[in-house]
Amino acid sequence: MPIGNTQPSVRLASAGRAGGPAATSPARRGGTRPRRTRGGLGAERYAPYILIAPAVLIIVALRLYPLILGVNFSFTGDGDQNGEAVGFGNYQELFADPLFRTALGNVGLLVLLLPVAVAIPGLLATFIFLRVPGHRFYRSVYFFPAVLSPVIVGAIFNLLLAFDGPLNAVLGSIGVGPVDWLGDPDVAMFMVVGVHIWATFGMALVVFLAGFATLDAALLDAARVDGASLRQVVWHVIIPSLARTIQFVFVTTMIGMLTSMFGLLFVMTSGGPEGSTYLPEYYIWIQQGQMNRPALASAASTILFAIMLVVGMLQIKLLERSGKVD
Amino acid sequence: MSRVRLGRWMIAIPMSLLAVATIYPLLFTANVALKTRRDYILDRFGLTTTLQWENISTAWTSVGMGRYFVNSLVVVTSSVLLLLLLGSMAGFALSQLRFRGSSALFLGCLAGLFIPFQVIMVPLARIMADTALIDTYPGLILVYVAQFLPFTVFLMTSYYKGIPPEIVDAARIDGNTVYGVYRRIMLPLGTPALLSVGILNALFCWNDVLMALVMMPSAENRTLMIGVTSLRGQYSDNIPTFASGVLIAAIPVLLVYLFLQRQIADGVAAGSTKG
Repeated sequence: MPIGNTQPSVRLASAGRAGGPAATSPARRGGTRPRRTRGGLGAERYAPYILIAPAVLIIVALRLYPLILGVNFSFTGDGDQNGEAVGFGNYQELFADPLFRTALGNVGLLVLLLPVAVAIPGLLATFIFLRVPGHRFYRSVYFFPAVLSPVIVGAIFNLLLAFDGPLNAVLGSIGVGPVDWLGDPDVAMFMVVGVHIWATFGMALVVFLAGFATLDAALLDAARVDGASLRQVVWHVIIPSLARTIQFVFVTTMIGMLTSMFGLLFVMTSGGPEGSTYLPEYYIWIQQGQMNRPALASAASTILFAIMLVVGMLQIKLLERSGKVD
Repeated sequence: MSRVRLGRWMIAIPMSLLAVATIYPLLFTANVALKTRRDYILDRFGLTTTLQWENISTAWTSVGMGRYFVNSLVVVTSSVLLLLLLGSMAGFALSQLRFRGSSALFLGCLAGLFIPFQVIMVPLARIMADTALIDTYPGLILVYVAQFLPFTVFLMTSYYKGIPPEIVDAARIDGNTVYGVYRRIMLPLGTPALLSVGILNALFCWNDVLMALVMMPSAENRTLMIGVTSLRGQYSDNIPTFASGVLIAAIPVLLVYLFLQRQIADGVAAGSTKG
């Protein structure tokens, strides 16, 4: 903050500038008085509340209140039993539903693939940080898919991965396949996750690079002078210094996998083949929109929220720790 | 020394391949979008020889991408403006003004960050239906604002914390009301952050699928991204038109990216380092 570092003279100058024409013109007193009477002392006192009220109202009414409503809702029935308390009925039904179990199983798969989804951008960021030839170019290219909608990404890969599509054509010309990338229950989920990672690693890359920007260059130089190899530098200097960033990327990548794959699923597989690509968010949408089972969907939402809460708690812990470090 | 340099070039090879893998799918789609159907079946990879601009106009008119484009534009623009206004007002109050309950209100806003739309989808759809806001522009705009406001408030608050309180004090002594300080000082000083957060929010809203799908059931209210999903059923046998529709939806984002890449990356970075 340049304004904060340079002392009084600048502060005065900027205050004068900020005051605008009213501060310098002779009409100043005349200009302020009506404003003050118009606003009134009471309005001034409540100004902070008035400024913050719209944001708080919207967040309370359309975020916090629905959350409570939804949890309540998950203990009521659907259809004929609409509004009646059914205890844990919906939850029992959920855990008996093979589709929901697949969805939870796929969450497990995401957790297993999480280290890969973090390591790829981490490694690439390291190379870019170490100024591989063309590092600026790589950064802008890698980041690009991250700004595309999952729907667009999904549509493009629908095209590429179609059974009679280009990828199989290429593989066929070298005598491999054809593979039914999106139609084989054993393959489809990996393709969807793969595309998700392809589309989002640029986001994590930017976060890593922001972390690298805070790295102590002297430490790196010292390691270099001491003749450390690249692997030693990564292992002994970069990873320990970036612990906070790495943890942050872990949490945000996990949240991203849990809450932003709907578009891909919707376009690429619609949950199929044989329900093998269901995730909780897709299950919630199907139950609410297609099956007309809002209460059951609310129960699934509550479970998703519980999963998110665990991830969120990790993040809060992380914030606290970083607060202490600062 | 030369070994180090050689090592760097060795790394550059897989990195270049990855760069190709990152950019090629979009180039492929753009190329296909300009082919005739017959050309695509005969040769998928070759550069198009025909430049079938008709594909694009077919997607624009007969699939209704033009209408969806306008819907998206209206909803996204209004949402972003509203987000910036409410976010900067709250951010100013939370960072520069002292008042009772400010930290509790800040935490309340933060709590919104941890509630994804999927979790509150069912009750939110019901609230929107009860208030007759479902399937209307204001309804979807409100849902977007509620979704991205916690993040916006958070970033604006941390940005405004970097502004020395003496500036506000001086402006107050000069006779500005709190609202005057907001309008004459905080808004102009916040421009870089507003720009970054605004672009990020615009991308988030523009790219959204699920909220638009739940809140805009009727066909004429579809946003552009929902339009893309409906292409799949209609044009699965006409790949070039399908690709044209995808291209129409991708081009605005591509343009934004080409010109405002720095701000987007800065916004993401700010969200991570301040988090």
